[in-house]
Order: sequence, then structure tokens, then C-alpha cells
Amino acid sequence: MGLLTILKKVKQKEHEMRLLMLGLDNAGKTTVVKKFNGEDIDLISPTLGFNIKTLEYSGFKLNIWDVGGQTSLRSYWRNYFESTDGLIWVVDSSDRARLLDCKAELQQLLQQERLAGASLLVFANKQDIDGALTAEEIRDTLELGSIERRHWKIVSCSAFTGAGLVDGIDWMVKDIASRIFMFD
Amino acid sequence: MVGECDMQGLSLDDTAAYYAPAADEVLTYTEPTPGYCCPLSANIYGIEFESFRIRDYETGQCLFEVSKDPEAPPIDLNNLPPEMEDQVRCISYDFGAEFLDLKTVGTTLQFAVGPNEVPNFRMIERHYFRNHLIKSFDFNFGFCIPNSVNTWEAIYDLPELDPELKQQLIDFPWETQSDSFYYVGETMIMHNKAKYAYTLPP
Repeated sequence: MGLLTILKKVKQKEHEMRLLMLGLDNAGKTTVVKKFNGEDIDLISPTLGFNIKTLEYSGFKLNIWDVGGQTSLRSYWRNYFESTDGLIWVVDSSDRARLLDCKAELQQLLQQERLAGASLLVFANKQDIDGALTAEEIRDTLELGSIERRHWKIVSCSAFTGAGLVDGIDWMVKDIASRIFMFD
Repeated sequence: MVGECDMQGLSLDDTAAYYAPAADEVLTYTEPTPGYCCPLSANIYGIEFESFRIRDYETGQCLFEVSKDPEAPPIDLNNLPPEMEDQVRCISYDFGAEFLDLKTVGTTLQFAVGPNEVPNFRMIERHYFRNHLIKSFDFNFGFCIPNSVNTWEAIYDLPELDPELKQQLIDFPWETQSDSFYYVGETMIMHNKAKYAYTLPP
């Protein structure tokens, strides 16, 4: 029995998934998680550390890590890579000025060895704002089409209205489940 | 309602007198420890709890919230009289009897970290009624960013209680207790206690 099999069995026993949610500051990461969990989103201040949610979803125990995206915090992101099953990259689709910054940060993450096994969900957030770029436009700018050897999906959403959030998380959980819990 | 616990005589001010068990050991406990397992001075990372909140996940309604008073003067932990220690380390909650009928709750803990990074932060919390373990949490926060403010919300179904046990929890206030043990790596850095009652009328 190889090590990979053992790892799979350990995970399988607990049915736990670790999702890491990153993105530039003001992308709406905390709002995404709060809205998804039915919390009030009126007063959300910049995250100066992490917000973790532990919840049951579709029979799995999800640990969602939302880590602050300010420039000064990004160098700490690497401390949260270990054991990540899914990476959720949140994009402010109305922030055209920083889209290349957004692309550069994502490209760096995708090169990280410790995230090599993680599925990627890109949330094209803030679709409720007039002039927001579409998911297709963001897919092209971020060059998601050139991603190899990784399961990925881009989903339009609005953390403000909640549209698209369940679709995205659902895809991520199913994708991870099919990769990791294949012996069920 | 939040108050202080009456646990006089349990406090120890001599560091040598503490026995700090390893995480594996506290995970076997089925009743509260008789005293505190580490001194307040063990918290060398300056971790401070800022708030604790419980919400009914079904309705979203906040059921309980307690936060640190930002106006309160800082306490000099090194010169704390032993009789004051319980006021700092032990908290009493009366949630009311209807709390025991809730299905799913979300408990949110907010804490701040001092100027140094915390390499591997872990919390183990054991909830007991007398010498019966009701619920156990074991959560690894891992790395904490220097000067960060962090939150953790655990959303979970309340354990289904045997009706007889449930009645006992109501009939014997403050005999439901918990120990919260915090480790950085292998070292215990904090140990707090809480006592619970389910008596307040709705």
C-alpha cells in the first residue's frame, strides 16, 4: 500500500476538506463566506488575519480559510497552503485597474508546489455592480485556459445578492470528493 | 448572563506547582481538571480573546455575545492576587433551558495575536457534565500572523441529549463545565474554564 493510499484513507475517515480562499484586498472574500453561511454582511471590515468557518456541507466537514488580502499580508499566505484541497480565488470583477495585479498573484499561487494538488475555483465576484467584467473576460485576462494538470472552474457570483455562491462551492466540493474520496 | 466562577482555593501562584499535560492526555479527560494546568504567564504570545458569540444557525439570530471591554484597564497578570485569577480565567454562562432544544449553532471566537508570529496554534475544548464528556473540540489554527485579529466559527449540530441527561443539565446548574486548553506546538500556553447553567427563563 503506497503512501498516497494511506493519505486517502485518513482523509476518507474524517471526510474533511480544507478550502483556502484568497484574492486581493476588497475582492469580497469575507462577504462570500458570510453570505454563504447566512450571516449579516452589512458591516465587514478588512480582514487583518484569518476568518475560519467549520461547517458540514453535503456530508463533508469543510474548513474554509479566508485570509486577508492586503499587500502586507500576502507574504503570509504560504503559511496556509499545507493540506489545502481546494483554492478559491475571489476576483473583484469591477476592479479593472488591478486585474493584472490579480493575475500576477494568482499565477504565483499556481506555481506553488504545496498547492499543486488543489482544485481551483475562481469566483468572478461583484457581478451586481454595473460595468463588471464577465466571467469569460476574466477567464481570458487571467489566462485560465492555459492551466494544465489542475481541475478548475470560473463561476460568476455576487456575494452581495448570494447569486452563484452555492454553484461554485458545490462544484468545488464535488470535484474534491471525486478526487479524494473515490473509495466511498 | 455572565459572571465569575467561585473556584476559590484552586488557584496556584507557584509555576513549579503546575502540571501541563500534553494534548494527547487532555483528549482522554472526562471531567474538569481540579485547577489550572499552566500559569497565566505561559501566554508568551500575548493571545487575547476579544469576543465570543453564539448564533442559532437556523434563524441567524444571535443568542449570546460577550466581548472584551475596550475601556477596561489592562490587568497586570504578573501581580494578580490568587483570588482574582478565577475572574480572569473562568467564565459562567446561563444560556436558558431553551438553548438545549436548538438544532444547529454557530460559535464564533475572535482573538488577537501579539507582535510575534505564532507557529502552530491549537485549541482543545472539553465539555463535561460532572464526569461525563458531552462534547469535544480539537481545532488546529496553525499559523497566526503577527498583530492579527482572527475569527473561527464552528457551525455544528448540538449533540442529541438523552432526555434524562438534559433534565439533569437544567436541574444542576454550573455542573456543566468546560476546560479550554491552548497549545503552541507541544507547549500549553493557556488554560481557561467555563461553567454553564440552563435556567434563565426565555
